[in-house]
Amino acid sequence: MKLIKLIILILITTFSFDLYSQETKRIVSNIQGLVLDVDDNFISSSIIMDENDNELACNNIIYYSRNREALQVNNETGEITATLPGFHEVVVICIQEGGKRLRSNFTVNVNYPPVNEIKISLNNDILYTESYIPLSYEVIDEKGFVRTDVKFDLSSSNNLISIDNLNNVKALKAGKVTLNASFEGISSSIILEIEKNPITYIELKSNTDEARTGDVFNFKAIAYDKKGDLISNAPFDFSFTGKSYDKSNTASGLMQDDGRFVGDVAGQYKVTSSVGNISASKIVNVIDRNIKRKFKNIGTGTVNDKHTSDFWVFEGVDGRDYAVSGTWGADGTSYFWDVTDPSNISKIDSIQVDARTVNDVKVSEDGKICVISREGASNRKNGMIIIDVSNPYDVKIISEYTKNLTGGVHNVFIYENHVYALSNGEKYYVINIEDPYNPIEIGKFELGKPGQSIHDVWIEDGIAYSSNWRDGVYLVDVGNGIAGGSPSNPVAFANYDYASGAHHATFPFKSKSTGKFYTVLGDEIFPNGIDVAGQNVTAGFLHFVDFSDLDNPVEVARYELPGDGSHNYWIEDDVLYVAMYTGGIRVVDISGDLLGDLYKQGREIGYILPGNKDGYIPNSTMSWGAQLYKGHVFYSDWNSGIGSGKLEPIKPENSKANIN
Amino acid sequence: MYKFTFLLFLLIHSTSLYAQEYYVYVTAESDDEVSIIKFDGEKALEFKKIPVGVWPAENEGPHGITVDPNGKFWYLSLAHGNPYGTLYKYSTETNKVVGKTKLGLFPASMQISEITGLLYCVNFNLHGDMKPSSVSVVDPESMIEIKKITTGSMPHGSRLSANGLFHYSVAMMSDELFEIDAVSLKVNRILKLGNNNSSMEDKMHHSQIDHSMMNHANVKPTWVIPHPTNNKIYIAANGSNEIIEVDADSWSILNRFSTGNGPYNVEITPNGKLLVVTYKSDGTTAIWDIESKKELKVIKNTRKVSHGVAISSDSKFAFISVEGIGGEPGTVDVIDLKSFTKVSSVNIGKQAGGIAFWKISN
Repeated sequence: MKLIKLIILILITTFSFDLYSQETKRIVSNIQGLVLDVDDNFISSSIIMDENDNELACNNIIYYSRNREALQVNNETGEITATLPGFHEVVVICIQEGGKRLRSNFTVNVNYPPVNEIKISLNNDILYTESYIPLSYEVIDEKGFVRTDVKFDLSSSNNLISIDNLNNVKALKAGKVTLNASFEGISSSIILEIEKNPITYIELKSNTDEARTGDVFNFKAIAYDKKGDLISNAPFDFSFTGKSYDKSNTASGLMQDDGRFVGDVAGQYKVTSSVGNISASKIVNVIDRNIKRKFKNIGTGTVNDKHTSDFWVFEGVDGRDYAVSGTWGADGTSYFWDVTDPSNISKIDSIQVDARTVNDVKVSEDGKICVISREGASNRKNGMIIIDVSNPYDVKIISEYTKNLTGGVHNVFIYENHVYALSNGEKYYVINIEDPYNPIEIGKFELGKPGQSIHDVWIEDGIAYSSNWRDGVYLVDVGNGIAGGSPSNPVAFANYDYASGAHHATFPFKSKSTGKFYTVLGDEIFPNGIDVAGQNVTAGFLHFVDFSDLDNPVEVARYELPGDGSHNYWIEDDVLYVAMYTGGIRVVDISGDLLGDLYKQGREIGYILPGNKDGYIPNSTMSWGAQLYKGHVFYSDWNSGIGSGKLEPIKPENSKANIN
Repeated sequence: MYKFTFLLFLLIHSTSLYAQEYYVYVTAESDDEVSIIKFDGEKALEFKKIPVGVWPAENEGPHGITVDPNGKFWYLSLAHGNPYGTLYKYSTETNKVVGKTKLGLFPASMQISEITGLLYCVNFNLHGDMKPSSVSVVDPESMIEIKKITTGSMPHGSRLSANGLFHYSVAMMSDELFEIDAVSLKVNRILKLGNNNSSMEDKMHHSQIDHSMMNHANVKPTWVIPHPTNNKIYIAANGSNEIIEVDADSWSILNRFSTGNGPYNVEITPNGKLLVVTYKSDGTTAIWDIESKKELKVIKNTRKVSHGVAISSDSKFAFISVEGIGGEPGTVDVIDLKSFTKVSSVNIGKQAGGIAFWKISN
């Protein structure tokens, strides 16, 4: 019996430590149930209570806010300052003797400041009966915050208008009416003067009756009264319906308020222009764009022992054609290739530097100087390496440059004897390489805001286009003269950003066919993170931004390949050559006016998938970049090296041979 | 009966007498990988390889790594982001991400205090301009950064005192040792480590520092470790080839020991007897006797760039991460702290860096 007791005792002492750690104490704080107004300060006080509600001291208490932007909390004193309305949590941690900790979360309700003003504005002064009235609302509270969560009430002074459940307002009868908006005792009103719709007839014209998918129709509506007189500034609404020629497909397109329409799918489309209950329609035909061409892989320069990164094709001083390519996550090697015969790409030299990733490579306009970026150097100085490529068969390192570039250089660009080198993904430095043995930093560009980030810079006509992730593209004068900038004094003069914040590369594009100026902004998105040894899921697309008016850039179109994300690209003669990572190299017709979804519009001319059985990761396409050079499409692929492709000439329409 | 009881005790408590396996986490900074190394007392092997990061086309640089005192989670700092680095929390059971939070520029070394339960991570910020950086304090439970505490220029090495109440970090380009109160989350004391003013006691608030002087670092401290049982602090002075011994009570420098080239990381055995230092520029690891202040042995590492040190909780083995150069793989060398010999090596991904001891398993 004694033995059994002893065994039980031993087992208890061995396994039961956890039983003693059950917590019966709790934190009691005056933060419990706290309600504050914006800008209020509150002094916290917290104590520890045991299971019998006896107060215990806690000498070490740490307070913190789970949302520091909304609620500032002094970690030591617990003083709370309310900054933004809403429900926010304060965490209180009591550190007891021996490191035992108690913690509690307390919710603080910061009141929304009372609404101070409701602004109602008309988007168009001309109001006709039987039309929806284009109104905008803004609710502003006493602290100046714009409230977007307010469901205010609308009311009318008479029955000239109707108001539906979504607060849409429709003009029913002519006359003067007061529209009133109210919320929490604050109200605002606007007087609407509704005219009887004078329009009895609408004439609807288009610049053409038939166009290819992707071509933009320009519709013009003209309104007349019953006397046949023209009515100017009529508030037209445009809409469309359509029927695809292919019975299993859905007609789709995009209609703009200004009357531009583009059809994505071949079919018959009816475009309607209306004002109130007066409308006119016009039917147009959209036919297949029919631009597909055979795009053949001509040659490959396989790299089968490491990942390949960026590349550059250039004409050497001897008139022959060469390429340089970097490597990723490897041993700091860059390869040099003779690509004079694109069907017979041959590796002719290589250079190895202290780095793991040579992400970017560029060659000067005269074909003499190559600059490669470094990341992962063993001394963590990174920076860039300047190489003499006068003889690409025997390249030689001229100098190493690391000043201010220790955080790693991800991308570089050479323009008129200057290197624009990214530093730690935050900014770029401008380095004069007139004497490549002694590079000198002469300038830098950064946004100057917390969390500034940059992924790429590209220069054309003295304008640097920097791709700044969530801050979008910045157009910077580095010698163009448009804003008085120079390489030593870069001056930003235009910017465009977009919601996803995934802006990773920019290519400026002056359309030959329309004269419009676009910046083509590329995303880089990996929804599921990485798999360095296998297939990856990629996302994102190219945004076409009409920058013809520098002060008012407008995003007008996209190239989005379903299931595959964008990376680097090249544009020449209104044709886009884009590496779509897992989607391979795509060639896209971007001639004419651009509007809507370019992929849906059948603008893709052809594609190749560079993944091959001899690649570093066999048969796995992960295309990095594309460059049109002397009629061939050169590319690099993360998993297989570099290569070249060729678009075959357009064949007669009755030929079936040019379908991919 | 007593014999039986003794046997029962043995049965329950003596599994540790059998072969033990040591587990270490180590980062491969240029391959965006973390490896778990298993060492059975004779041979080390790469037990598991865990890909980390988000962007296949970007090198995000896993740098610092630490294991929660309870052994349930490991934490990894990814140096590069857009532009800020990220702290990831992984389960040691599944090695899957369970939380993350954004920190500062190039978050590096870190540790969790057993007292406060908070994680303290220096933001190395080696990117160009020499300006004060910070220590991020994170609640690992919520994975929220509670505070950024401004310290010196390029803070790299950092460790907590044995009682978990003080955090020490060294600023490489301002030659300073910082002591942070782990509870009040404020800088307590700053000690200049430069050769010319080594005896200067500096208790002034950090905002009073003339940061224009920061570019003249000559000590370039890269690591700091408080002694586990007394009030001494040891600093690897990478630029001046010294180990600096600091008295935490008087907040003054007691000794400077000349070392090999480029002392980089330094750890102390849990029993407080040995100091293990990597000499980065020599590709070696040295073992010092703390009491006699003598370098006992210098051991050549497998590759040329010696980096981090992790020591087993039983003070028997040191695990050294060795970076290599260019395309060379990284390596973990295992050093027997009794015989002072390298007993095993195992290759991992490129640029082996941060290293953390996880557990001994029977």
